[in-house]
Amino acid sequence: MYKFWIAIKKEFSILIYDKTGLAIMYAMPILLVFIITIVQDSAFRIVNENRISMLIVNKDKQSQSLKLVDLMEASGLFDIHKADSLPVQDIKQYMLDEDYLTGLYIEPQFTGSLVAKATAVSTDMMLELGLLEDSLENNLAASSLQFYHDPVLKENYCMSVINMINAILKGVEGELLINTLCEQLGLEDAPAKLKEAMIDKSTPVERNVATTSNSNVIPNSTQHNVPAWTIFAMFFMVVSLGNNIVKERLNGSFIRLKTMPTPFYIVLASKMAVYLLVALTQIAFVFTLTKLTFPALDLPQLTLPDNTIGFLLLSVVSSLAAVSYALLIGSLAKTQQQSYGFGAVSIVIFAAIGGIWVPSFVMPGYLQMLSMVSPLNWCLQGFYVLFLKGGSWAELIPVLLGISSFVLLCLVVVYFKLKKEKII
Amino acid sequence: MNTPRIRTENLSKRYKGADKFSLEKVNLSISSGDIYGILGPNGAGKTTLISILCGIFEPTEGSLSYYRNSKAVSFEQFQPNIGYVPQEYAFFEELTPLQNLEYFGAMYNLNKNEIRTQSRLILDLLGLKKVVNDRILTFSGGMKRRVNLAIGIIHNPSVLFLDEPTVGVDVQSKVAILRILKELNQKGTTIIYTSHHLSEAEAFCNSISLLDHGKIIVEGSLKALMKEHETQNLKDLFIRFTGEEFRD
Repeated sequence: MYKFWIAIKKEFSILIYDKTGLAIMYAMPILLVFIITIVQDSAFRIVNENRISMLIVNKDKQSQSLKLVDLMEASGLFDIHKADSLPVQDIKQYMLDEDYLTGLYIEPQFTGSLVAKATAVSTDMMLELGLLEDSLENNLAASSLQFYHDPVLKENYCMSVINMINAILKGVEGELLINTLCEQLGLEDAPAKLKEAMIDKSTPVERNVATTSNSNVIPNSTQHNVPAWTIFAMFFMVVSLGNNIVKERLNGSFIRLKTMPTPFYIVLASKMAVYLLVALTQIAFVFTLTKLTFPALDLPQLTLPDNTIGFLLLSVVSSLAAVSYALLIGSLAKTQQQSYGFGAVSIVIFAAIGGIWVPSFVMPGYLQMLSMVSPLNWCLQGFYVLFLKGGSWAELIPVLLGISSFVLLCLVVVYFKLKKEKII
Repeated sequence: MNTPRIRTENLSKRYKGADKFSLEKVNLSISSGDIYGILGPNGAGKTTLISILCGIFEPTEGSLSYYRNSKAVSFEQFQPNIGYVPQEYAFFEELTPLQNLEYFGAMYNLNKNEIRTQSRLILDLLGLKKVVNDRILTFSGGMKRRVNLAIGIIHNPSVLFLDEPTVGVDVQSKVAILRILKELNQKGTTIIYTSHHLSEAEAFCNSISLLDHGKIIVEGSLKALMKEHETQNLKDLFIRFTGEEFRD
């Protein structure tokens, strides 16, 4: 036990000396978590929380177009700027000059067209019901709204905005149709309550998060970025621990230890213990700091999982995966440069395909398949189970077993490599 | 009669994938209290031989016997008695000499008190008293060699293996290292060492084996060998048996 303690003490002393390595291991995840979360959260807010800037050129200025614009304003989704006197040919230039993301041009005969359409539909209904004997001439003048958008806006974003306008327009058309019907039925004095009930009785759509827990934590940039970048930093210990292994292999201290009455597993176990502690303190450090500071920075609050034991277990297993991977690289690399270069690059690639930067579910199918080879992805899936899906053991255990298998595989390769080099 | 310490019989070593043997049928006998020099040109197999003797590599063929109090013992029983000083600076330069000795001392089964006493004593002996708490990174080559030696002798080994212990050091460090090794030998430590410095080996060793192309050409007491082969010094003996051709 004394040997193990001294070996731990030595590893710790070397670790403390490596200030750059420490900075990479502790400062990097904090910086990444803050920067990426702030950037992603801003983008998220532009799409989801900020009102869409819209230029409206209303050449109709009649009841229905005014109602449409009023309803759009009332929806709270749009930041509307009216420029009714603007000629249609100048709309694009004006939008570019004034930085409007979207624009809407309402043609002069918009209200007339809508009223004619409502009357025609209402008359057809009356005829079908036998309440009218003769049809009026049905000349529907087609009218459309012209939607403009900034070229940088993505297709799905544009379609979402068009769908919002359509939904409001449907409300306007619906109300107009009901009013026209009431008029034709001689119910001009129909109570407003009845009209309201007919117009507003749409079926509500309630939002639910698909998790197995009762807590409805909404996936957001914090819930993804905090665990994701912590995992990245944990695996980045390959730079420090990998180099440590290569150095001791090459400078002869491993060989020297072979002449001593000490089993080599003590040396490896002490390295694993110290770096396991490093990885666990990385998790504790990043999670605590983000939990305490994110609300003050107006970032989404980090919600810790209910399954505390699962969280601790996943933290330990993920840390062991990072340590084992670093041992693997350290035992396979022939030089410190190889260890540093390959170790760092491999982690960046594993992070890219493993869903650290962008969640893997938004990747193309073949990349999602490829992400399965990334140990970072397995760890991240575990944190998703805990942070976003309620943390059920049924979902967590396969992830833990997968990561544990990776740990075992790495250690077996390390053993045989060191055995081949006559170190063990 | 000299008490045996290590004996080899037809010891051979061929590395995996190599065409020929690095060591071939090596027979040698090292007695207790010897300062035994394993000498030879580059690539002769000196480091391979010393690595096998101290348990780093296993021989491909042949046998190896260790003795304690004239009784044959297994390597595991013998291992705590050996010290090994490799040619490389096999320690942790980010740490201080004291921290290194604490680590390797523990690996040699010393307890806390033994480590403390021995570290101070040896570092003092090797002229490193003033820098015990300095990081080795800042040390000169000679100081690093002395730290390398200190690690190998912290546990008072009865057999000490040294692979080129004075290579690349200044004269003062070389003199200090050899003086301490002589003192250790006088206290009973058997020393087995390799060197390129023939004049140093001549002054230091009492027995040698001359190795070339993996084979022992001559072995025995240095004085007896020089007398037998009528040479004035070890260099002449060396050239007589290994020739003057370059060895790369």
